[in-house]
Amino acid sequence: MLIKQIFMAVLGISFGFVVSGGVFTVLLSVGLIPRFAGKMHIADKIFVLEEMVVLGTLAGDFLSIFSDRLNIGKWVLAHNLSGSAGTITAWSIISNVILIMYGAFSGIFVGALALAIAEMLNTIPIFSRRIGFRHGLGIAILSVALGKLIGSLIYFSQQVFLCGGV
Amino acid sequence: MSTNNNITLYFKAEQNVELQSEDVYIKDIGKMICADANILAKVKTIKLYHFKKGERKRQVISMLKVIDEIEKAFPNVTVENLGEIDVLVEQINVDKHKGPVQAVKIAFVSLISFFGTAFTIMAFHNDIGINEVFSKLYEMVTGQAGDGYGILEIAYSIGLAVGITVFFNHIGGRRITKDPTPIEVEMRVYESDVNKALIETADREGKMIDVD
Repeated sequence: MLIKQIFMAVLGISFGFVVSGGVFTVLLSVGLIPRFAGKMHIADKIFVLEEMVVLGTLAGDFLSIFSDRLNIGKWVLAHNLSGSAGTITAWSIISNVILIMYGAFSGIFVGALALAIAEMLNTIPIFSRRIGFRHGLGIAILSVALGKLIGSLIYFSQQVFLCGGV
Repeated sequence: MSTNNNITLYFKAEQNVELQSEDVYIKDIGKMICADANILAKVKTIKLYHFKKGERKRQVISMLKVIDEIEKAFPNVTVENLGEIDVLVEQINVDKHKGPVQAVKIAFVSLISFFGTAFTIMAFHNDIGINEVFSKLYEMVTGQAGDGYGILEIAYSIGLAVGITVFFNHIGGRRITKDPTPIEVEMRVYESDVNKALIETADREGKMIDVD
């Protein structure tokens, strides 16, 4: 039994090692965080941002790997930290704040990531050159953003994730 | 003025300078050496440009303009430029890089980085169905169905943490080796790309400060 456990540990560590390399090479080659730092003029605080990338990845890792054990909401409600009615109201506010933060910030990140990948593949320059695009690039970008917004709303409201795929 | 016939002034122009004053002097845009200390001191104080109120806070100065100004003032000086050929000059406000606004910006970008990467790794795990892969692996190795929360998951998380730390080359603000971290490298590449793009745009639009 022990040898199996050791084997599993070796496997797990190797998986994690290679996955982190792969995921972060993609993230880096897109150059998203330098771009944020450049726009915000905080290039000298890049260490903090890297720390947050590391912590964020670990948090996401724990939440998805140990998803059945990390039911924070259930735990808080079960333990009634501050009286039953109080806990429910307080926790509904706190959990909504957490959800809004998670949604908004990861939305910004994914939106930036999607366009950064599109830009890395030179889609926009190639298209604008082919069709002789000179003005109105701002409108085109705005259309892309609105399209993403509407697409995302349709995806969630019409439950597109239920059909196709699996 | 010096009576020496021909003096060489070596000039190393920067790619990008940020100034707080409204006047741009030659000493602001690069480093220089010259055998004649007197000339050197005078060259340094030649005024190149003045940022007017309500004007673009970003200008590109061609080295030709700089050489022209120096040689106009000192005809016997030959300028040898060892650095960039165009310099991007930005006028910034004093408080732009300090204060609560910057703290808010850092917090904002930090939150994006944190939640964004958390979401990315969760979506990635969901995409590849990591829990199924792991439980299958459990079954293959141990011969019995695992509950899904054992040594493999813990080891995977440790491996991920170690991998990231090695990749980013620092733990809690302390570098492991002396190399710059990947994001620092990427940051410099990005900055130099932006500078080049700005310089080329200014050149194409004819807005560069150049000799006529």
